[in-house]
Amino acid sequence: MSYVTIDQVTKGYENQVVLNNISITLKKGEFATLLGQSGCGKSTLLRSIAGLEGVDAGRILIDGIDITNLSPRQREVGMVFQSYALFPNMSVFDNIAYGLKMKKVKNIKSRVKKIIEMVDLIGKEESYPHQLSGGQQQRVALARALVMEPKVLLLDEPLSALDAKIRKSLQKELKRIQKELDITTIFVTHDQEEAMTMSDRIFVMNNGQVVQSGSPSEVYTSPVNTFVAKFIGNYNVYDMEVFRKIVRNRELKGTEVAIRPEVLQLVSVGEDSLDLQENWGIKGFIKDVSMTGNVLRYEVETEESAFHVDYLHHRGKMFEQGALVHILVPKKECIIL
Amino acid sequence: MRKIKKQKIYLLALLLPFITFVIGFEIGPLVAMIKNSFYADDGIQVTINQYITIFKSKFYLQAIQNSLVISLFSAVTSVIIAVIAAYSLTKFSQKIQNRLLMITNMTSNFEGIPLSFSYIILLGNNGLFTLLFSKIGWDVFADFNLYSWTGLILVYIYFQIPLAVMLIYPSYQGIKKQWKEASSLLGGSTSSFWLHIGIPVLLPSIVGTFSILFANAMGAYATAYALVGSNYNLLSLQIASLVASDVALKPQLGSAMGVLLAATMIGAMWFNERMMRRIRRDLR
Repeated sequence: MSYVTIDQVTKGYENQVVLNNISITLKKGEFATLLGQSGCGKSTLLRSIAGLEGVDAGRILIDGIDITNLSPRQREVGMVFQSYALFPNMSVFDNIAYGLKMKKVKNIKSRVKKIIEMVDLIGKEESYPHQLSGGQQQRVALARALVMEPKVLLLDEPLSALDAKIRKSLQKELKRIQKELDITTIFVTHDQEEAMTMSDRIFVMNNGQVVQSGSPSEVYTSPVNTFVAKFIGNYNVYDMEVFRKIVRNRELKGTEVAIRPEVLQLVSVGEDSLDLQENWGIKGFIKDVSMTGNVLRYEVETEESAFHVDYLHHRGKMFEQGALVHILVPKKECIIL
Repeated sequence: MRKIKKQKIYLLALLLPFITFVIGFEIGPLVAMIKNSFYADDGIQVTINQYITIFKSKFYLQAIQNSLVISLFSAVTSVIIAVIAAYSLTKFSQKIQNRLLMITNMTSNFEGIPLSFSYIILLGNNGLFTLLFSKIGWDVFADFNLYSWTGLILVYIYFQIPLAVMLIYPSYQGIKKQWKEASSLLGGSTSSFWLHIGIPVLLPSIVGTFSILFANAMGAYATAYALVGSNYNLLSLQIASLVASDVALKPQLGSAMGVLLAATMIGAMWFNERMMRRIRRDLR
């Protein structure tokens, strides 16, 4: 039974289509991520669910109720913005209590206290936003949304403005809180790594459409098209015509082929015997080596093309720039698009 | 080291004209005014009699009261109008906003004798509109007298509004759209947003603007003088007649009233500041 249903939602500005017939369903308690480059429509979709933007066609349902034409305040959704959007004139406590005061609920104090404990802000109740760090401000924003016990939590790139370390720790915490409250969450990001770490399900968006959806590992290991392959996994993507020449095999079908950089193997020329049963062997030389910390990235040039090859950064052997190598391409790992 | 010192001296030298100006035209007259206010009419005897005279005279007390009332009234009214007007300004396209701001800027410089004269021409006893409307048969201006309390307030408010709009307008840029969105998602209506977030955020600029308007009205002289002459009892008009009139030249008494005028302005600013700190605790 789906908890959130987005049914053929379409939206455009003037001559430009921003959301093109999008349909998504989410189960209760699911952590879904809308992933895509800026301008792909992911934030617009999130804002449409929040009611901050209208849609031209289609319906949005939460818990069986059609909310398409309801105002934001009637939708019972919570939202966290990239810029935190805390009220600068209110203390942490008052920021979090604002929504409860608006709804005139009872026991505001105890509810705020409980949520402050949950987001680990004890002792900061009387502080003002400008006295807090970015990470703390975002915790307040999260608490302000969560205290309302919304049906759906919407997160619009909430971690993008934070530095790497705080970002990582908040990712974990966000996930913990989400599981603890079992709250259906829609997360928007342009960072594929963040999407992979956090989500139960990823919706990859491009040009106002959902191009692929699935679990992080599904999306990563079986991209459905070139866009997803390039965006999510830094894949090597080749035109089939070129690839046929590279591997000298004329019988391959399809229009394009995608290969993950970490499934490729490098072997020094003349060193070992090559397993050419399971792999294709291609001769080339190391054009460039770069390091991202734990990963060594080789750029290998071959006669017809070039390959990215990723290796974990072991203490062991490293190929020098200019070295002659064979690239072993596992036949099973080639994804025909 | 020496080089730095030299540079500093050059920089200070560049400040010299400014310092001279401030001392010669602002601090100097202020000190002279305070000093003068403690002398008797003869200018020799040191006394506080000038202040006693003011506080014993119903006439002068009434001048202070009138000035306070017209200043408060015109400042409050103008601030309220300007808060609304500046907000509606922000709703136009940038192009129209720029044009409207230009007009506001121009009208904010339209004060003093030219302003009063314009009012006299348009709405005076023989003013254009007054005559036109009475010919047409509309009696909207039948009970209106420009040279009265109402007329004076009308003119004061007229010159205060553009200034207030110019001063408050920029602070609307500081109100983030996302605060409104967050507020509405949390169940707040538009009015609760303005009540709890918008107005408190604007408050420092509203309070600052109010102080300036209040001071502006307290010190306004030419506008009132051209419009009502000495028919109306205002602090600034009394000071003028005491220091520059042919009839009763009493510069010491005028100085004492000037000191009181300055004191009310400082008092108003202090009070505003205190009130603001109470509401905007985050600014402490």
